[in-house]
Amino acid sequence: MSDARFISENDLRALAGELLAAGTEVIAPVAVDACASPSAMASSACRMPGAAPVDIEYRPLADAAELDLERGLPVLSLKQYFLPEHEALCRWHQRGTTIQVEAVPTTFAPRVVLAAKPCDSAALAVVDKVMNWDYEDELWNGRRAATTIINLACPVVDVSCFCTAVGSAPDDSKGADGLLMPVEGGYLFEATSAKGEAFAAAHAARFAAEAGGGADLRGRQAAEERAAARAKAAGNLEIDAASVRDWIDAHFEDPLLAALGVRCNACGACSSVCPTCHCFDIVDEEEGVGRGARRRCWDTCQSPTFTLHASGHNPRDNQNARYRQRINHKFAIYPLKFGEVLCTGCGRCTRVCHAGQDLVEILQAIDIAARRPDSAVAATPEPVTP
Amino acid sequence: MNIYQPQLATVTELTEETVDTRTLRLEFQDEALRESFAFHAGQFGEYSVFGAGESTFCIASSPTRTGYIECSFKAVGKVTASLREVNVGDTVGFRGPYGNWFPVDDWKGKDVVFIAGGIGLAPVRCVIWNVLDRRDEFGDVTIVYGARSVGDLVYKRELEEWAARSDVKIVTTVDPGGQTEGWTGEVGYVTPVVEATAPKAQNAVAVLCGPPIVVKLTLPVLGKLGFADEAIFTTLENRMKCGLGKCGRCNIGKVYVCKDGPVFTAAQLKELPAEF
Repeated sequence: MSDARFISENDLRALAGELLAAGTEVIAPVAVDACASPSAMASSACRMPGAAPVDIEYRPLADAAELDLERGLPVLSLKQYFLPEHEALCRWHQRGTTIQVEAVPTTFAPRVVLAAKPCDSAALAVVDKVMNWDYEDELWNGRRAATTIINLACPVVDVSCFCTAVGSAPDDSKGADGLLMPVEGGYLFEATSAKGEAFAAAHAARFAAEAGGGADLRGRQAAEERAAARAKAAGNLEIDAASVRDWIDAHFEDPLLAALGVRCNACGACSSVCPTCHCFDIVDEEEGVGRGARRRCWDTCQSPTFTLHASGHNPRDNQNARYRQRINHKFAIYPLKFGEVLCTGCGRCTRVCHAGQDLVEILQAIDIAARRPDSAVAATPEPVTP
Repeated sequence: MNIYQPQLATVTELTEETVDTRTLRLEFQDEALRESFAFHAGQFGEYSVFGAGESTFCIASSPTRTGYIECSFKAVGKVTASLREVNVGDTVGFRGPYGNWFPVDDWKGKDVVFIAGGIGLAPVRCVIWNVLDRRDEFGDVTIVYGARSVGDLVYKRELEEWAARSDVKIVTTVDPGGQTEGWTGEVGYVTPVVEATAPKAQNAVAVLCGPPIVVKLTLPVLGKLGFADEAIFTTLENRMKCGLGKCGRCNIGKVYVCKDGPVFTAAQLKELPAEF
């Protein structure tokens, strides 16, 4: 960890402006009109006189003034900038029986993400594992390499947040190159990677080295905020992720896991908003006569067609089995395979679910089951305090 | 070129196996690749028709036959329906080879028993030819193959070729009602025919592939005949998209069929949740 530097809010915006002026794409939280779509316009929230609800979204900035530093959670995670909703994997051109395949670029122009959520950057580091465990996904890696990510520490948004329960934190810099900690008058900045150091060096004039009494005060402020946010997140959910993992792995047929999907109606919204859900489909799309693109698109294990064989056989032929797969993949399969929980506790799946599936509740139930003394994998019993 | 971009191959031969099943022989258009392409028996690939998409099948030809690969498929979905329309000279896409393989080299000196149902003979055929092309390295070779009806038997010419060899024992069977006049093979389901054939299990391995029901029913019969779970090999088919361990579709519990499989022993199958 490097020494902290201070940057005022004005300087941070000016820095964003400099990047934009230099032609660098800057992706950051932006407040957008939540009533812009026809369906939203009809909703009661949008029809109230004087109502102007906003959504926070990660958008490429058109102007530095758009940068939203209020620290609300964007609707969609950063995933869309690394694994786009759909993207061409290659293109083909056909003339008679002759076909030519055209490669798509796997290198990308440098870009910067400002004020990223720690749960969103951490998710990228988690998904890095599956994208590189054997075959390397150049499209993912190319975008990762081209992007400098600067996190803004999170105040913890609501009761659905549980980052600390799955190994992340509101002030985590995992997957990111630097962290901004809000303090009086601006932000303390810590570079957490070589890319982050280079970023600070390239904009040295915007940062002030921290020294003297002011530095102590701001350092204390930052530490206090970090501790408070961590405590707030921990208050939402505390689990033992390792015993949850082992319990799920050993209890595939347990009634608790076998009935999880009873409320789920397979819409797949949880997968769309999830920063770590990375499953995809590959389909061909015509782009004209004799030409087209092979594209990959986000997919969801909650859809009945996800595992459906052409023969009609479906290994996961009911919603309970599909929901168990979601939980199993995130909290047992991925941790066992890659050593990381496939979840960073952002809570988006819970907030977006119109059927009321609540991951905080589900993890709590599994954690309780894993702690039961009769649990087959309760390797280490609860310590008894005298 | 990224990992999802297919190689181009020309269809050089096609065989209509049944009314809905055909075999394509493919030669890579890239000359260097055509020379260098190598794979192991049991590996699979992603075959594509541009505009229709990709589909997953094993490589049905033997690694001992070089210069081309073959695949056999039943036209049941979008891509297979399109593959059924291609002609000799047409171009298709191929990515692979992917996945693990049958440990054929470990079977030297052993008897090999092949059991297949329906189109399940395609992956087994690859191993059969692999073994037959190195015939003197192995002991007795027994093949038990069954299909719903005489019309559904695939690789008919090869079945005759194997039957004509003195160093292969082959039993073909069709489900009751699937026989035709003049059918000289067995009539009955694969599982009881395996039991009646009773290949000896001592110093032997069994390779099994077919519809889930055939695999499910035949495993205990092989056990009864004395085959250890570690000596029974099968290849699982699950829906796949990438074949590279990324798209998250083929998991059975913590196993990625595309990377940890598609070849599993019966011992490994027993460790998996019953979700395949």
